[in-house]
Amino acid sequence: MSESIIPESELEEVELYHPKSWWTEKVFSQDAKLIAIQYGLTAFAIGFVALVLSWFMRIQIAFPELAIISEGTYYQFITMHGMIMVVYLLTALFLGAFGNYMIPLMVGARDMVFPYLNMVSYWTYLIAVLVLFVSFFTPGGPTGAGWTLYPPQAILGGTPGQETGIVLMLVSLCIFIVGFTMGGLNYVITILQARTRGMTLMRMPLTIWGIFTATVLALFAFPALFVSAVMMLFDKLLMTSFFMPALVEFGENLTYGGGSPILFQHLFWFFGHPEVYIVALPAFGIVSDLISIHARKNIFGFRMMVWAIVGIGALSFIVWAHHMYVSGMNPYFGFFFATTTLIIAVPTALKVYNWILTLWKGNIHLTIPMLFCLGFIVTFLNGGLTGLFLGNVIVDVPLYDTYFVVAHFHMVMGIAPVLVILGAIYHWYPLVTGKMMHDGMGRFHFWITFIGSYLIYFPMHYLGFIGVPRRYYEMGQTEALYTSSAADLNVFITVAALAVGFAQLVFVFNVFWSAKNGKIAEKNPWKATSLEWQTPEQPPIHGNFGKELPVVYRWAYDYSVPGAQDDFIPQDVPNEKVKLEDGYTELGVEKT
Amino acid sequence: MSIFSTLSQKPWTSDQAKIDDKHSGKSSSMPLPRVALYVLMAVIGVLFTLFSVAYIGRMAYGDWRILPEPPLLWINTGIILMSSFAFHKANISSREKNNKKTREYLFLAGALTLGFITGQLFVWRELVSFGYFVSTNPSYAFFYLLTALHILHLFGGLIAWLFVVFKSFEQEDETSNFLLSVNLCAIYWHFLLIVWLALFAMLLLT
Repeated sequence: MSESIIPESELEEVELYHPKSWWTEKVFSQDAKLIAIQYGLTAFAIGFVALVLSWFMRIQIAFPELAIISEGTYYQFITMHGMIMVVYLLTALFLGAFGNYMIPLMVGARDMVFPYLNMVSYWTYLIAVLVLFVSFFTPGGPTGAGWTLYPPQAILGGTPGQETGIVLMLVSLCIFIVGFTMGGLNYVITILQARTRGMTLMRMPLTIWGIFTATVLALFAFPALFVSAVMMLFDKLLMTSFFMPALVEFGENLTYGGGSPILFQHLFWFFGHPEVYIVALPAFGIVSDLISIHARKNIFGFRMMVWAIVGIGALSFIVWAHHMYVSGMNPYFGFFFATTTLIIAVPTALKVYNWILTLWKGNIHLTIPMLFCLGFIVTFLNGGLTGLFLGNVIVDVPLYDTYFVVAHFHMVMGIAPVLVILGAIYHWYPLVTGKMMHDGMGRFHFWITFIGSYLIYFPMHYLGFIGVPRRYYEMGQTEALYTSSAADLNVFITVAALAVGFAQLVFVFNVFWSAKNGKIAEKNPWKATSLEWQTPEQPPIHGNFGKELPVVYRWAYDYSVPGAQDDFIPQDVPNEKVKLEDGYTELGVEKT
Repeated sequence: MSIFSTLSQKPWTSDQAKIDDKHSGKSSSMPLPRVALYVLMAVIGVLFTLFSVAYIGRMAYGDWRILPEPPLLWINTGIILMSSFAFHKANISSREKNNKKTREYLFLAGALTLGFITGQLFVWRELVSFGYFVSTNPSYAFFYLLTALHILHLFGGLIAWLFVVFKSFEQEDETSNFLLSVNLCAIYWHFLLIVWLALFAMLLLT
């Protein structure tokens, strides 16, 4: 059966919503593009808070004599930094911001299928962010339980923020998940049901494949976090013992008893590991498109790239316990998860090969987006390789509590996706604002960020190898554990971290400065094929595509096609309208 | 078209392009609300499954006590079964364009749902009166948690039910839009019935 033969729907599709007031147009907008910008700005705002927290932590580690923050505050900052970066920044940016902006435009739809729900999704996300942020100002401050919120310590006295901070964190996560589910439904159904004529699933750009698969993952993985958050709230507020074992606190027997902290870990990581790919898959998709566009070459192994995205998505649900090797699990259990972890490296490596093979003999334009893509490939490769170390039980056990782990996940899940986000912003900024970002500031931003990140995280691998423990507020004076070279290295890392942080301020300045003073972007400045660049107006207006929706005649990777005059053919141009080079009778066919 | 044949397409070839050019852009002929409901039910299904996995995981620990089974639970199960059946009848009546009967069945389904929720609250009261508090044992805590979550989902359904009831008073109530709304409500109620039966069976068996 062909997918093209689809019977008429039972119902006419919903008409495009038109705002009736300034409030519904600019604030409570139902236009996915504005919602995307709202998501993006909110995520960056709270992400900036997390960045500042990391500066405090770095200064504390490098210069403990300054005692810039207390022990408790250090743990609170670690916790908030981690949770904000992973959930409230990266997930919200990739799915909420890029998802909202790109899905309707790239699949040829006027908007998301449920615009009202989409709007509610953003405002729910904002409430979640505010609830989390409020915890900074409550008695006891935010939770200091670590971003994984492991019980029993997360809700016990002695852990900072156990009064209200932990409750606000859990409530905020629940609100976030409810909000995300509304958005996620929209993303999935828009991709499945609102593509324009001719846009088959396999003609969709890989950006959409990445966002689609990540959204499906998130819809099925976030419930695990919801379950663990609700159960821990019960333990905290109603004194149940889902996760809480029998405990003595400050010489007093607590009423808890019999609960299983390990159960929490299973639930948390059943969410937590797919979460890695919820962030990574959209990054994979975006980077594939950016590389193809800026190397003027079709993506190498397109089908394999799609299969790899889907395969990684499926496998991501059976690797979670590799985060728990030191929890005392059965060795056979550990063996199973080590094996699945190594297996998931196969499609991931396949993607890296394909990016490199796309670059091979490509007409590489070293634009800022391309620089970020190149930076991503090496960073992801580095982070991925150390993942193979940690995926093996026997190597993980000695390295688990060291800076090696910090280096690994910051490389693979921090820097790598952030490089993609930044590259994507430079790439799509002309579409969103109609202006180009300042090139000089952009290049300065890239080089400081890229080199600076390596100066931060490369030495951390060494620190890990020599056994410097992670999570410590200060290292003390024991030379055997903490050598003077390690102390010097920590100072070095902190200086690099502050420099990278400063470079991000340049980026933020560039975003706002260019919106006003930037060079006006020509139409489709990167000469891309995908539909978002083929709108009548740039930036696209409400409804995206003028009177008629585009019709798609090709995949998104027709770059440097033999016989075509231009080195790209937009997806909505039929073969008859392609200008041919002299000497060709049709695309790919030379005159004999 | 199966996912495997979709994934094996070669969209860059001219032969595939001839097929793809005719594609409507939709993956299914189902209307959007129906697709949305199916995806939502899948997510809710995962949520309850994970709670059940946690339930079974927690059972393995020594402090687990067997939950008493108040007979009222059987009555409540009967009530939710009838409510689901009433939705089924409303669905049939709406297809037969019998608006009056549809509305009657809708009211009946709503009333029975409220009856079920009230019944569940009575079960809670009964358990509390026996001293089975939420913090007494994890098995009781799970009972309160799972039933509360199920009730919350029913409340969500009741909001949709209210919209459908209002629609049934409108003049254009015979449109396919109305039929679809009744149908989707019925599907959601059947789904929540299945969720409840699964939870109830789990509670009985453990």
